Amino acid sequence: MKFLCIPCDTQMETQVDGIMPEENKNLAMKFKCKKCGYSIAMLTNKFETEFVSKLGVEMGGASAEGKAPLGVVSSALAEGKEELKKAAPQADDLIWTEEAQERIKKVPFFVRNMAKKTVINFALERGITTIDAKLMDEVREKVGM
Amino acid sequence: MKTYEDLAGDGGSNIVEQVQNLGVKLRSRLDKIKYKICLMSGKGGVGKSSVTANIAACLVDKGYTVGILDADLNGPSIAHLLGISPDDKLVIDESGIQPGNGVHGIRIMSMDMLLSSPDQPVMWTENAEASAVWVSTMESTALRELVADTCWGELDFLLIDMPPGSDRIDNIRGLIPELSGVVEITIPSPLSQHIVSKSITKNSKMGVPVIGLVENMASYVCPHCDKEGELFEGDDVETLSTRKGIPFIGKIPFDTRVSRKTDSGGLFYMEHQESPTGKAICTVADAILNFIK
Repeated sequence: MKFLCIPCDTQMETQVDGIMPEENKNLAMKFKCKKCGYSIAMLTNKFETEFVSKLGVEMGGASAEGKAPLGVVSSALAEGKEELKKAAPQADDLIWTEEAQERIKKVPFFVRNMAKKTVINFALERGITTIDAKLMDEVREKVGM
Repeated sequence: MKTYEDLAGDGGSNIVEQVQNLGVKLRSRLDKIKYKICLMSGKGGVGKSSVTANIAACLVDKGYTVGILDADLNGPSIAHLLGISPDDKLVIDESGIQPGNGVHGIRIMSMDMLLSSPDQPVMWTENAEASAVWVSTMESTALRELVADTCWGELDFLLIDMPPGSDRIDNIRGLIPELSGVVEITIPSPLSQHIVSKSITKNSKMGVPVIGLVENMASYVCPHCDKEGELFEGDDVETLSTRKGIPFIGKIPFDTRVSRKTDSGGLFYMEHQESPTGKAICTVADAILNFIK
């Protein structure tokens, strides 16, 4: 699927941040025209997003987590061995509280990286070094759709 | 206005590239494995895992290198059967995860090896309300990772211990199009044969090569005198194979030492090759070898 900005006749680019996918309902992805800056959002229901996720790919590009051995299993298995958890690459230097980690894990894997980037960018812009549930609520309110 | 073909890429997700990379990774593992064989049954409780483990032992005894992929993600038993301890540490690096070293050098990968404790079920972190939607996605992704991210190395055989039912074969076929074949396993009971016949039909319709049908628990063998007696009443399983047009490749008698041995982390075949059950397991292994020739 590709998106075209008709006035500029230019392909719109996937925005890897700025969208906070709802955790259990649907997916919202943002596309922007690099020429005129116009943005649109593609909204899909959970069945449509499941169809995409079965490809085993990540929206917004493959993350380090996704490229790592057992990347999906290690990040999505609820009670995996410690070695499995340690094998998952750490994407940032920020501190995530346990509650924030649990919440981000509930975002489906194939859009989790985008959701993480959204939260991280929001935190970095404000000089925040610890990500907690309150901050995630704020991100949802201010950035999410 | 530009058309679909005029636009290069997909705007940033690089879906095609990601799919290609996953394919390359998978292929690099599979190309080192000569034969990939599924052992399956539409019905649960027919002894698939036990038969799989003992056929693996027989193939090892004949000089082949063997691995077993436990495709039963929610009811994994292969790690237990082949003596992998729940406390065994996982070895994971950039190249992948090392398979478990089962008895007789059989290489194992199973969800059981990844869980923090033996009584832990496989559960995913996604929101519980959405789990019904996500679980099938997670399972097919997990299966792909278990195949593609395990450092199997060079293998003569990868035996795939399938879960009950016939739905997982779609996943396996998608991952391993060059699948050498499928061994169907049933017990003599009419109910088991009824369900297994559906599994055989599905494989035939999908064009999956069926190596043959095995009748497990075909009779009872006395461990003291090796005399056989009937265990189940039911139609002759050989009739089912004739009706479905597939070879009948073995009749394995029930021997109480099979489960006793496997529960102690050993494999029956290695110690009782000359028993009726041991010989029957060898007959099935020979049929597999003849098929791939």
